[in-house]
Order: sequence, then C-alpha cells, then structure tokens
Amino acid sequence: MEDPLAAIKVTFFQECEEQLAELESGLLAMESNVADSETVNAVFRAVHSMKGGAGIFAMDALVRFAHIFETSLDKVRSGVLSATPPVVAVFLRAADLLADLVRAAREDSAVDEARIAALGVEFERIDHLDGAPEAAHVVPASECSAGDGGGQSGGVSTWNIVFTPDQALYAKANETALLLRELHRLGEVEVELDESGLPELQDMDPEGAYLTWRVTLRGECGEEDIRDVFEFVQEDCHLEISKAEPYGFDPGTVITGDNGFKFEFFAPIVEEPEEEDRKAEVKSEANVQAAVERPDPAAPAAAGAPPPQSKTVQAIAAKTEAASSVGATIRVDLDRVDRMIDLVGELVINEAMLSQRVLEAGIARSSGVAMALEELENLTREIQDSVMAIRAQPVRSVFQRMPRLVREVAAMTGKQVRLVTEGEATEVDKTVIERIADPLTHMIRNAIDHGLESTDRRIAEGKPAEGTVRLTALHRSGRIVLEVSDDGGGINRPRVRQKAIERGLISPDAQLTDEEVDNLIFLPGFSTAEQLSDISGRGVGMDVVRQSIQALGGRISISSRPGKGSTFSLSLPLTLAVLDGMVVSVQGHTLIIPLGVIVETLKPRREDVFPLDGDLNVLKLRGGYVPIVDVALCLGYGAQHSDPAQSVALLVEGEGGARAVLLVDAIHGQKQVVIKSLEANYRAVRGIAAATVMGDGRVALILDVDAMVQNTATDARRDLAESRQLEASAGER
Amino acid sequence: MSDAIDLPPVLDLVAAPGLLESFVQRRGDRLCIDASRVQRLGAQCLQILLAARNAWAEDGNALDIQNPSEDFTASLELLGTSVGGLTNGTQKASGETDR
Amino acid sequence: MNVTVLTVDDSRAMRDMLRHSLVAAGFRVIQAEDGLHGLEVLASESPDVIVTDINMPRMDGFGFIQAVRSDAARRATPVLVLTTEVDVEKKNRAREAGATGWIVKPFDPEKLVDAIRRVAA
Repeated sequence: MEDPLAAIKVTFFQECEEQLAELESGLLAMESNVADSETVNAVFRAVHSMKGGAGIFAMDALVRFAHIFETSLDKVRSGVLSATPPVVAVFLRAADLLADLVRAAREDSAVDEARIAALGVEFERIDHLDGAPEAAHVVPASECSAGDGGGQSGGVSTWNIVFTPDQALYAKANETALLLRELHRLGEVEVELDESGLPELQDMDPEGAYLTWRVTLRGECGEEDIRDVFEFVQEDCHLEISKAEPYGFDPGTVITGDNGFKFEFFAPIVEEPEEEDRKAEVKSEANVQAAVERPDPAAPAAAGAPPPQSKTVQAIAAKTEAASSVGATIRVDLDRVDRMIDLVGELVINEAMLSQRVLEAGIARSSGVAMALEELENLTREIQDSVMAIRAQPVRSVFQRMPRLVREVAAMTGKQVRLVTEGEATEVDKTVIERIADPLTHMIRNAIDHGLESTDRRIAEGKPAEGTVRLTALHRSGRIVLEVSDDGGGINRPRVRQKAIERGLISPDAQLTDEEVDNLIFLPGFSTAEQLSDISGRGVGMDVVRQSIQALGGRISISSRPGKGSTFSLSLPLTLAVLDGMVVSVQGHTLIIPLGVIVETLKPRREDVFPLDGDLNVLKLRGGYVPIVDVALCLGYGAQHSDPAQSVALLVEGEGGARAVLLVDAIHGQKQVVIKSLEANYRAVRGIAAATVMGDGRVALILDVDAMVQNTATDARRDLAESRQLEASAGER
Repeated sequence: MSDAIDLPPVLDLVAAPGLLESFVQRRGDRLCIDASRVQRLGAQCLQILLAARNAWAEDGNALDIQNPSEDFTASLELLGTSVGGLTNGTQKASGETDR
Repeated sequence: MNVTVLTVDDSRAMRDMLRHSLVAAGFRVIQAEDGLHGLEVLASESPDVIVTDINMPRMDGFGFIQAVRSDAARRATPVLVLTTEVDVEKKNRAREAGATGWIVKPFDPEKLVDAIRRVAA
C-alpha cells in the first residue's frame, strides 16, 4: 500500500495550484476594482487553506508567510484595510512569492528568506498606510503556554475542583459526565454531587443546569492539565481549582488504600512520565482500570466500545464516502480516460468496418440494416466526441499563469504592459494544454521584450505609454486558435532581413515578400535581439516555438504591421487522439498524410521537374524550386522513380518551414482517423509517425512528414537556403 | 396502581424535555423506572431523575429503578451518585469509581 | 459501537488528512465539503461528533454550527471547530454559534483524536 501521507501531500499540492490560480484571479479582480466581498473572501480562503495544509506537513516558511499574508487579507475582509492599488500590488507580489514557496516546498528546495523578509516589510508598510493598528505578525503556535506553576509535574498532588456548569455548557453539547471522565484520566478521582441547587420537579427547566460537582483529584498533574480538561467549557461554567496539601512521600513509599488500592511513589522522572505511569499502573492492579491509561490514539472509542476493527471501519468509511460525496466533479485517473478513448477509437473503426461489410454485401442503403447502421454511426461519433470532451479542459489554467509572467517581464524590461486575455473558457485536450504553456510563455515574453517599444519611444510616437499584449483563444473549424498580439512596433523587416543574410539563411539578393521576411524569424538559430536577453530565453528562438507547435499538429503564422504591432496565431487540433488526414495510395499501399502539413495538391508537369545531383529532383513551382520526395522510394515500396507526371504531388511544409513535394499515386479523400501508436504496437519505423485501422480492416500508415522532408536534405536550414538561392537564381532567368 | 417508565437508550440534552414531561404526568403514583436500555446518561437527565426522586419522596410514593444497565450504573458513578442515590434519597455516593 | 465523525472542510488535502488520521484511530468517517453539504449529509447520517472548518464557501462554519444547533434532532451533537485562528474573536464567534470545542490547526493527529474523544459520549 502506498504511503497515504504522500498521497495527501500530492493532493495538497494539486490543491495549492488551484488555490494559487484562484488567488491570482481574485487579486486581479481586486486590482481592476471588480471584486465583490465574495472575491475577497475567496482570496482569503485560498491563502488560509494553503496555510492550513502546509501546517500538516510542517512547511514552516510557507506557513509563516501565508500567515502574514492572511493577516493582511483578513484586514481587507473586515474593512480595516482598504484594497488600494498599492495594497493590491503588494498582495500580487505576495501571491507570486507564495507560489514560489509552494514550489520550494514541493521540490524541497531552498527558500528565499530575504524575499520573505522584504515582503514582510511591505506588509508592515501597507498596514501603516491605512493607519491600521500595528500588524500582529504572530506565528501561530500552540496556544497553551507552559503551566503557570500551579502544580509541578513529576510529583503527585491533590486538587480540589468545584465545578458548576451553566446551561450554555449543555447547549453547546458539552457534557459534565465527559469532563469527569477526562479527570479520571489525570488520576484518582472522588466525585461529590452537590444537588442543593435542584428545584422542584414542576419548576424545573429540563435544559437548565442546577448541579455542582466537587472533585478531589489525586494525580501527577498540574493545574494546567486540569484547566485543559475544562478548556472548551471554561466560559460556560463556574470553576474553582485549588491545591490541597501536597503529598510529601518519598520515592519508594507505598500507600495502600482502604479498598486494597496500592500506590508506590517513584522518583520524579520528568522525561518519561508515561513510563512511570505504566509502572504505577502495574502496581495498582485491577482497581484502577482504563481510567489511568494514557490517551491511546488507537482506542478513542468510549469505554465499553469494542476494539475498532479497522478493516471493517475502512470499508464502511469508504462506502459512506461514496454515498456522501455528492460533488459536481469527480477525479478520475487519466489512464482510465485514455483507455476509454482508446476503446472508443476501436469502436469507431469497428463501426466503419461494419458499414463497409454491409455495403459490400449489397444491402440497399434504404434497408433497415443500413438505416440502423447510420444511426449507430451517429451514435458512435457522439460517444467519441463526449469521450474526447472528458479530456478537454479550458485553457484558463495556462492563461492564468500569464499575468505573473507579464508582471515579471514588464519589471525586467522597465516597460508598462497590460495583458488582456479573452476566451479563457475555450476547451482543448489536456495534453495540448500541457504542451502549449511553454510556447505561449515564450511568445508572450517575446511580445513584451521584442514586440513592445520602450515607454519613452511609445510616448514619442504618440502611443499610450502602456503597451497592450492580448492573448486570445477561440474555436475555429474544429481547431483551437490561440493568438498573441501586441500593439508594438511590428516586425522590423530590414533588421530581420539583415540578420538572415548575416547568418547565411538567405542570399543577400533574395527577393522576399513581407510575409516571407516575417517568417524568417521562425528559422532555426534566428534571433533579432542584439544580445540574447534573459527574458526571451537563452538560445531559444521562435523556431523552437514553431517546432513544438508543429509537433502537436499545429501551425503558427504571423502577421505584422509596422508601427501597429504583430499577431502570432497558433492553430492546433483539439485532440491528439484523432487526426484529420488525407488518404493516399502509393504502390497499392494506403497511407495517411496529416492534413495540417499539406499546403496544396498539384499535378506536376514533366517540364517542371529538374533533376539535381544524385537522387534529388526539384519541382519548379511559381518561380521557386521545391525538392521532390518520392514516397514509394522513401518507404521502399518501389525501386524505380515514379514518373512525376503520372503522380499526384502534395506540397507539404514540415518542421522549421521546410517545404517539399510528396509524390503519391492517387488521393482518395479526407478522413478522420484514430491514431494508433506504431511504437507501442510494433516498433518505430522511420518515415512513419503512427498507424490507423481503416474501414476495411486494413492498417494504414500515417506518414511522418517531417522525417520525409528531412530525408531530402539533412539540414532543413541548408535546404531552405538552397531553395532560396534557387529561387533567387530562378528570378534572374 | 403502579406506573412505569421505560428509559430510552440515550438520555442526553435532546431527551431531557420528554423525560421531565413523563415524570410530571405520572406524579402521584408509584413509579417503576426501567433502566435496562440506557447506554448514556447526561447531567441534565440526571437532574430530572434526582428531582423526580425528591418529588416522589415528598408524595410518599415508591419510586423503583429496575434492571439498571451497566452503562447506566457507570454513568451514575461517574457523575458522583449511584442507582441507590436515585431511589433512597442518599445524596452521597461512593467516591471510588470504576470508570 | 462505532464512533462516527463527520468532517466538514473545503480543502481536499485537509479532508484527506482528517480521514487518514481518524480512520487510523478507528473512527467511521463521513465527509462534507462545506456547510451546506454538511447539512445535506446530516439529513441521512447521525454522526457522534462533527469536526468543521470555519472558512468555507457557500456556508461557513459559523452558519453550519448555528444550523446544527437549531436542528432539534442534532443539537446535542458535539461540534469541534477546526481553526488556524489563534485569534480569540473567531473562537468566540464559533462558541457563540454553539461550538463544543476547537482544534487549532495545524493539528497533530493525536490531539485531533484526543479532542474528539473528549467530547464524544
């Protein structure tokens, strides 16, 4: 069995993520003055709850800081402190620090004490800002101070306790019998019931409190121990505790009670009172029963209860939980969902096969069977969509990380930036979400670092001093489109061009359209910054962004207007489990080419094909040249070059923008296919990304276009440079 | 003529008003209290039992407790009285208790 | 006889922790995620002790305790308040609402179990 505490810790950290997100969005609402009191409450609860959880696991730094933070938030909540912009600004920074402390706790890494201290000072400052009373930065500790010396531990004392409960004690479900039971745990107890206050039966309030108990307690306890018993009721009763004359017995003295009770006194062993208790218990024989036993956490049930049978208890508890947790959401292991998606994939394939068989059997389309099958097909699609929807999550979780990023980058660059997000509720597959966070982060950094002008320059150009970065998400024709746009200066095309030439990416005299120039920034190794700054990441350029987007079956495009800003658009599939593909055939084999990479299909003319050195042919295309990939040859289906004129050509764009023309025999249409991993079921095959099962039950391979394109030129960059040069020379012809 | 009260298993705050009412209604008769089902006795129901004892004694009627359960006996001792203390007017109870 | 404890807390980690500690101590544990949920659970369950958080969405601990105390069938049920507040004001408000006792977070499982034992009949 796994360690339950470790599992709870995992839950705690998951919850922290949610609470940090809640905190952030709540604070942002406060910042823009759209927060109501419930928002402030939610913000407070988030911090409070993290503190509570952190306490369980003794994450001290986290607890300490959360407490300071919470104290200030509580003041806002109670109206002592008003959430002015400087106050909220401190809160936002505190939220960032809290997030870091959570991370530090998770990774068990060092905590930046200086930062905690610095923010602590900030908190003090804002507290004074509002003329609020001195902030009490008390770290919660055990409330009980050490005993006030009423009784020394270690020695046996006799205590006289007079206890008169108020009616309120009972109204709060406290009970004298239980308090007396607790006193029994401290030592020998004599109880005298004083019923002098008892009224006549007919005058009685059934819920009144008329009795007084006088208790003599002999035991090795201090006044504090006794007060602890009455801790919950001290304000709902009259309580007197006084010490009777101490028992001055020397260690080793044995006293014998009139009922045969024996007690032997030991030298005080302060460190091990329990041990001493046990010895005393042994000596005291059967007369003193459960009452003197130390609290045993394994047996909390009232005396007389059978020993807990933990197996049964757990089973019952588990059952109860199932019955009583009527939440709006359930947590399901991702593996289970994936397994279901897999099965539904099989179902789709099976259904397609069945349809085909029915068709082959010559059953009329209007027949009952065909009609029922059509219904089944619709149903299957619906199931597939619903199952996919289980994995879908709003992009909010990624979007919520961005405000912090923007604040950080803005601070580092000294620019004023406003982040506007739209479409946070747009849903997309969980895997896609996980994998767009990094590219988006990079694009936003880029937009602030390179896109936006400096504040001075913006003012000089008559723009608002504060730059705007807009992050939007929307669904468009079965894909999710994410856009990052800025209102900066736009892409500096002469600079980009200059860099590309310096880096040998294009020839100095290449004729490029604006769009082509803009796209140069996606080339591997390209960076416009004079020096790589920390902000945009060392050596990580837009080529990496493009690559990771393409790995998800997505495309990235850019549009830029000088002086107005740039917009990067990402278009991604909603799921990675199905693929829109072009069904093609090569030498009798059925292949699938991902639709996303296909730019256009063409019918090449023989005179447009030019042989290059070796096996490489290029196709002349609108004044440029594109390498031709003979798919049959590549995959070993045929030894001979296909005749381009007899083939269908697909212009594809692979990783890094490398283009190629794929030659296939025929195109059979578009189809949504369920992706089956070839590696998991067979082994990795070069040139093949995955497989799928077609309606006729045959396996069709899904082409790895990137590998195909790479095949033609070992280096995409050189390949492109080559083609650009060719393009340039073609222009001269 | 003799009347009887069958004490419920749980004699807590919630049970007190009903218990008081049942005594008030039976005032004036011999009364037999069956305590065999009692699992829990709270101080407020104890007050009522004590007041009932006083009332029955005042009226000169007999008040008996039958079949006290172990829990009932133990609760009384915990609270500083005993089954006998509920019937014979003895207010002192043995100090040495078992639980 | 098994002691049943109802815990009311909006934090999943805290619920898990409570469940873990209490089940290990031999209690039967039922759980709710906020005050309203707690009241729903009470419609079909009669726990021996209730442990509730104070700060919760929908219905906080104060409201929950008041509701329990005004329910004729449940008002004798001990309610312990889980709170990180050392702040006397909070504790007093919980007491005024009818809390039987309190447990200061971060609780250690032994103290938690001890507090429950103290108020459980």
